[in-house]
Amino acid sequence: MKKTALFITLFISWALLLPGASPAGRLFLPGNGYAFAEEDWRGEFDSICAKTGDSMELPTEELKGLISRCDKLKEVIGKLDESTKKVFSKRLQMCRDLYAFALEAKEKK
Amino acid sequence: MPSRSKQKKKSEATGQAMILSPKRLFVTLIITAAALLAFKGTAPAGRIPPPDEYGMVVIRNYSQKAGFAPVVFDHWLHRAMYTCRLCHVDVGFAMEAGATKIKAENNSKGFYCGSCHNGSRTHNKKVIFAACPGTAGQEDRTRCDRCHSLGREVKRDYEFASFIKDLPRQTLGNGVDWEEAEEKGLIKPVDYLEGVSIKRSSLAAQKDFSIESKSTWMTDVIFSHKKHAVWNGCEVCHPEIFPSVRKGTVKYTMFEIYAGEYCGVCHDKVAFPLLDCQRCHTKPVR
Repeated sequence: MKKTALFITLFISWALLLPGASPAGRLFLPGNGYAFAEEDWRGEFDSICAKTGDSMELPTEELKGLISRCDKLKEVIGKLDESTKKVFSKRLQMCRDLYAFALEAKEKK
Repeated sequence: MPSRSKQKKKSEATGQAMILSPKRLFVTLIITAAALLAFKGTAPAGRIPPPDEYGMVVIRNYSQKAGFAPVVFDHWLHRAMYTCRLCHVDVGFAMEAGATKIKAENNSKGFYCGSCHNGSRTHNKKVIFAACPGTAGQEDRTRCDRCHSLGREVKRDYEFASFIKDLPRQTLGNGVDWEEAEEKGLIKPVDYLEGVSIKRSSLAAQKDFSIESKSTWMTDVIFSHKKHAVWNGCEVCHPEIFPSVRKGTVKYTMFEIYAGEYCGVCHDKVAFPLLDCQRCHTKPVR
């Protein structure tokens, strides 16, 4: 019984940390720590820009990480169709600019 | 630059009255003309729009080339239904009129106007009509005319006078106190659009702060950060409109604001006009 529980726990942990399967799993990918299939760009966008409401409260490291993710995602969005690219490039830029603004505010404090 | 008393003494000494010589008059006229050119189209002396036209945006990037009249966008109607943030952040409309350069193709793919105007999304259980397709047949034409209406007699679903009938009044702008209307629950601007908006962390509490007035005859501004953040979110204003990261480092002038910078990006265009001084300069006189 204990062996089964251990096996299930290990399996779930492995699945969660599987590269690309979750934000935690993405950390194990080579490169800058983030990679995602093209169809996942929207999920990544939502994940990045979900924190704008409390951007001023975020720690410096997190802000830097978000800015870096914005820059990565910008390249992916740049390859999408014209309409999607136009809308999401601007939306992403707004998030990035806000995080950069929050970071600058923190660093100048 | 001689002081006024020195000038007075000089003119008294020379026996000349303080009348402008032709040369001085010419220089004054040149400076005035230059100043007027610099603030061309932004000075408050321009035409004050009637309440139903206040905040109206005419979009004419591509319409006429496609054989349609330019779009007349009524801010009063949309702002009563949706927050500024929803349209200018989630949907991605630029803050400057005409800068978004909306194409029918964008709308038909569910972006910009097409985010809501898709024939299936509803507001208050009413289906929102679909945006105009790029190539409109006769059937579509009537629908297209609902927005592509500049210079046309178009029957609207919402007439300004009846729409604002029960809303609290203000003297300027649309003649509506939108803030009070929301407080009283008379309007409930939607802030989330399924499939378009992001589920965000809740907005961090923002403290109000005062901005010192440069004039002795005008009281300080009490800026309601919370009020602005609730309607606009953070990214509408920062850093595009207000890039400074430290309070008090940028000195705003009413000239710049009237020229459409800072507060003037919204106020005098959609939000209540700048002539309504005492809605911002609210700090009690000491």
